Amino acid sequence: MVAGALALSGCAATTTSQTVDTGSFSMPAYEQYQLANGMTVYLMPQTEVPLITVSAVVRAGAVKDTTSGVANMTAKSLLLGANGKSKSDIEQMVDFLGASIAADAGKEGSFIDADFMAKDTDKMLPLVRDLLRAPDFDGGEFDKLRQREMAGLAQEKESPRVVIHRYFDKLVFGDHPYGNPASGTRDSLAELTVNQLRAFHKSYYQPQNIAISVVGDFKPGEMKARLDKLFGDWHNGEAIAKQDLAEGQPSLDASKVLLVNKGDAIETTFLIGGKGISRNNPDYVGLQVVNTILGGRFTSWLNDELRVNAGLTYGARSAFTPYSQGGVFRISTFTKSDTTKEAIDLALKTYSRLWQTGIDQPTLDSAKAYVKGQFPPKFETSEQLAGLLSSMYLYGFDDSFINDFQKNVDGLTLAETQRLVNSYFPQDKLQYVLIGNASKIADIAAQYGEVKQVEINAVGFSQ
Amino acid sequence: MMRKIIALCLSIGGILSSMGAQATQAEDIKSFTLDNGMKIMVLEDASIPNANMYLFWKVGSRNEVPGITGISHFFEHMMFNGSKKFGPKMFDRTMEAAGGANNAYTTENLTVYTDWFPANALETIFDLEADRIAHLDINPEMVESERGVVASERTTGLENSNWRTLQEEIKGAAFRAHPYSWSVIGHESDIAAWTQEDLVQYHKTYYAPNNAVVVIAGDVKLNEVKALANKYFAPIPAQTPPREVKTVEPLQKGERRVFVQKASVSTPNVMLAYHVPATSNQDYYALDLLSSILTTGNSSRLYQGLVEKQVAIEVETYMPMSFDPNLFYVMGVANPGITAQELESGMIGEINRIAREGVTQDELEKVKNIKLMNFYRAMETINGKANTLGTYELYFGSFDKLFNAPEAYNKVTPEDIQRVAQTYLRRANRTVAVLAATEESDQ
Repeated sequence: MVAGALALSGCAATTTSQTVDTGSFSMPAYEQYQLANGMTVYLMPQTEVPLITVSAVVRAGAVKDTTSGVANMTAKSLLLGANGKSKSDIEQMVDFLGASIAADAGKEGSFIDADFMAKDTDKMLPLVRDLLRAPDFDGGEFDKLRQREMAGLAQEKESPRVVIHRYFDKLVFGDHPYGNPASGTRDSLAELTVNQLRAFHKSYYQPQNIAISVVGDFKPGEMKARLDKLFGDWHNGEAIAKQDLAEGQPSLDASKVLLVNKGDAIETTFLIGGKGISRNNPDYVGLQVVNTILGGRFTSWLNDELRVNAGLTYGARSAFTPYSQGGVFRISTFTKSDTTKEAIDLALKTYSRLWQTGIDQPTLDSAKAYVKGQFPPKFETSEQLAGLLSSMYLYGFDDSFINDFQKNVDGLTLAETQRLVNSYFPQDKLQYVLIGNASKIADIAAQYGEVKQVEINAVGFSQ
Repeated sequence: MMRKIIALCLSIGGILSSMGAQATQAEDIKSFTLDNGMKIMVLEDASIPNANMYLFWKVGSRNEVPGITGISHFFEHMMFNGSKKFGPKMFDRTMEAAGGANNAYTTENLTVYTDWFPANALETIFDLEADRIAHLDINPEMVESERGVVASERTTGLENSNWRTLQEEIKGAAFRAHPYSWSVIGHESDIAAWTQEDLVQYHKTYYAPNNAVVVIAGDVKLNEVKALANKYFAPIPAQTPPREVKTVEPLQKGERRVFVQKASVSTPNVMLAYHVPATSNQDYYALDLLSSILTTGNSSRLYQGLVEKQVAIEVETYMPMSFDPNLFYVMGVANPGITAQELESGMIGEINRIAREGVTQDELEKVKNIKLMNFYRAMETINGKANTLGTYELYFGSFDKLFNAPEAYNKVTPEDIQRVAQTYLRRANRTVAVLAATEESDQ
């Protein structure tokens, strides 16, 4: 085992950096321009298969919610009928073509994505236009959708893994818009009206606030003409109010534990963490490398200690989730109820290695090779590339993210990693969400901070 | 069951007709067989500077017996825990330091290892795989820690997935003889009970090169793959082929039922499971299309008949590819206020309507188009290509069948759909499982 370890790094005793060549990868050719009305367009031809993905992103998500869930329900309601086509007409047409269309909203964006065969462009593109520009917001269909969503929210709470992040964001951000769950709550959805959806649509679904990305098997010249015809005569409405999301984020001045009681839980699912970084942080790539070492891959410290060495869990991870002007960092894992304390303590002890022993050169070299080697498959399909373009629009980064990725990774030094650790990983006043059987773990929860206990089947994602 | 929590989602679709000029063609796939019986397929694709190696081993929970249920899946985990050249932990460490990642999954029929890496790490991957195939060192300490991992995998599946909870029970009732009776992850007591000897024997029997098919897709050259396969895989000796699975599940002669109580379930879930033939049977294509007619898209029968009418909030069907006759699953989640009984009769009503009245030509055309889209999506990535090629090779006897699938799907008629619905989706051939917070009372 020791011999193997030495053979692997070849230089375990030295600090010479070893750069692994993972081949070259750059952004596929694309074009970006704006229509006269300000709508941003990205065109990226890809011809491996005769498919096209169209993604539209609206710069408005749950952070704009006046009633919780309005952004998401507005997006989902686009599919309930538009421009004279009923919900059923749309579904029959889309399914018949083997195509798919989906809409939803996240924290900061609302999305509509269509996937179809290139030969069906003349049917699918006008549909995307109708859904974006002229949704009917039919009251009867909305009532049914709302009822399904409310039932779905109750059902999602049967799976701690699905909902735990919503509790965590609420714990970290409180009443700040980043604490808003995109899904809304059963109570907030019950209050929503079709008029609120109409108002949300009118305020934010404007060409000046939208990017549309087309990736796949098409000719750019023809596609430009089509898009111009479909979207060129769309006029902007009122100016869109600026929102400063950097403002008003609560400070985390004490460790807090949110204990979510699920009476029949057989395991404890938990997150530990705090504030993270914004998507435009210049250290974004470097932090991905450091996080890979802590909890971003199979041989990461967290997975190695909790899963491989201790057999306490099936998986342990950590991640930064960035938003445009803030973000969260969290460690996530789960274990059977009886080993809750053991697993939390081991996660904390492992996390503290970032400060206590730091990172060594062979581990850094390996993590750099890993993030570079695993990067190209993230941007292989038309759908993935369209998603990348939408993110570029939403978070304001450009294709240097792809083109300079390898260089940025290769340039990361050991000294830099220590700066990143000290600057960005929350070291104390950690926030905890534990979902499990409170009668078994309440005493344990109290050892990590001030506890607030809620029932999992209670409405919402309370602090 | 998968070794890691990072899920691999891939839909394997059949193809129909009119493949794009650039999409992969049958002649793009090269294959050769080593003297030890290991078949290797290669697909050159330089769209990204990466490649995949998929190793398909013909072993799954169907090769188990009571007392060692779940051992195939457990063994999948043990394949990462140390061999002669690369000791414990070194498989993953070596691969990741070369820029690669991996995972593995076990089904009722197969155990599949997946390696994803920058193409210039190809030799490292061959070295790693060959070492653990030829010289696995089963470390007793590792076995003990891995038991905890698999127990956690079992627990977290039951905690978070109603599908998993119901499927475990329904399989136990639908099969009383065939090894498809138990879940891939195995019984809890068996997970605690494997011996060193069981594991050693399992490796020797099933991880022989003559029991494997390897697929490599990506930015590689056939000659380079051949040279490395000869250097690393060819020296591993063949073994006596494993014993065949001879058990044939007796004909089910009446409906069977199970109930699972779980306090936190918000509304009842109902799962139906019907016995259907093996994937190699000609009815596979009609059943696969029927599955799509029932639940793919909002225009599907069960969505229109149940979700749209606010009886269910969710409906799904699933028919795994399978070496032996297996199950066709239908699952629904009740809308609040709807009882398990109402949901069940709604689901059965829609299925029976197809058996009684058939489907339209348009409906059939629609699901054929959906299959074509799925095929293109799978063929858009080197990962999808490797997995799909291996899957067709194993379940249909040859990867060529992937490229003959257009004809097979196109031949299916509305009458075929009605016939398979009548033949297989009938009461006596059905097991019903209900999951709810409380069991309905006798009164």
